[in-house]
Amino acid sequence: MNKHRSLIVPAVIVGLVFLAISIVYFVEPASSLPSFFPGHEAGSSHHHTKHGIAALVVAAACFIFAWFQSGPSDAASA
Amino acid sequence: MDPISYFQAIVLGLLQGFAEPFPISSLGHAVIAPQLFGWDIHQNDKFFLTFLVGTHCATAIVLFVLFRKDWMRIFRGMGRSLRDRQIGEGDSDAKLGWLLVVGTVPAGLIGLLLEHPLRSLFASASAAAAFLIVNGFLLLAFESLRKRPPRRGDYLGDADPRMAKLSWKQAIAVGTAQAAALIPGISRSGVTMGGGLIVGLSNEDAARYSFLLATPIIAAAGFLKLPELLGSAGDGVRGQALVGALAAALTTVLAVKFLLKFFETNRLTPFGIYCIVAGTVCSLIFAF
Repeated sequence: MNKHRSLIVPAVIVGLVFLAISIVYFVEPASSLPSFFPGHEAGSSHHHTKHGIAALVVAAACFIFAWFQSGPSDAASA
Repeated sequence: MDPISYFQAIVLGLLQGFAEPFPISSLGHAVIAPQLFGWDIHQNDKFFLTFLVGTHCATAIVLFVLFRKDWMRIFRGMGRSLRDRQIGEGDSDAKLGWLLVVGTVPAGLIGLLLEHPLRSLFASASAAAAFLIVNGFLLLAFESLRKRPPRRGDYLGDADPRMAKLSWKQAIAVGTAQAAALIPGISRSGVTMGGGLIVGLSNEDAARYSFLLATPIIAAAGFLKLPELLGSAGDGVRGQALVGALAAALTTVLAVKFLLKFFETNRLTPFGIYCIVAGTVCSLIFAF
């Protein structure tokens, strides 16, 4: 796999954003979510745990991608 | 009166464990069977969903135990690659592990976000029977579109390096296709085995790849909902879920061992024909 070092910083930033989003989903009920968040519902006390898990998975994927891109550049990998 | 009897739990557990590895849609069968038997059990019933948590956990545990040697090698390989920040040349265990990850993530995300709406949309047994017919045609199509015909000795030797030759795009495509199984009647193992055939795997390797790919997604589906089974939602079905889980574990072992042997020399075609016939018969029964 070719290394794209220029993508390390964007991947980490996107990962951090999704990590923050996941925390918001876990902590806040649907009524308190920002209105542009999927799942926002006025008056609802439901916590969108699944959305939080999904955001956490994306964050983890971004961090792992960045980690591999920071590896040795002469990698002869798959 | 319990919402689901122990007899029903055993029958549904046996059916789930048997149908999950087979490319015939376990969810479709779980929706159709109660309707055929005249049981008052429906796919969207809270107690039924809670009951299914037990059978899914059992299936995932059995799949993990059956392929534990592969998983141990895969985990060690992934650990090596994380340490080195690269997948070493020829490290098929690490490559296979990350192929499974990139295949699981999209399907997992789609499942997390769309499972409920799709379940609500296609909840009826009639819809499941119709999609079972679609699944049958898909299986026949996969065999027609396969990259290469079966060859003598396809199954000999270590399968992991052969599976690790998949590209990242192929792994994402095959993995994402699993999301189609959110529709009752469409088989998760069917679409992943079919995807494996299309990208050049043999039937046996495609089945093995499908079982490896299934383990994390079934485990996630089961264990994420385990608190429901252990909480108040599990009142009245906890014992039945345990019995159903044991039944599912038994048939999963038998089904996986049978399929790995079966696919050494056989194709998806018989399962495609079964789905078309069963789906058509059930559709007619439900219509009249």
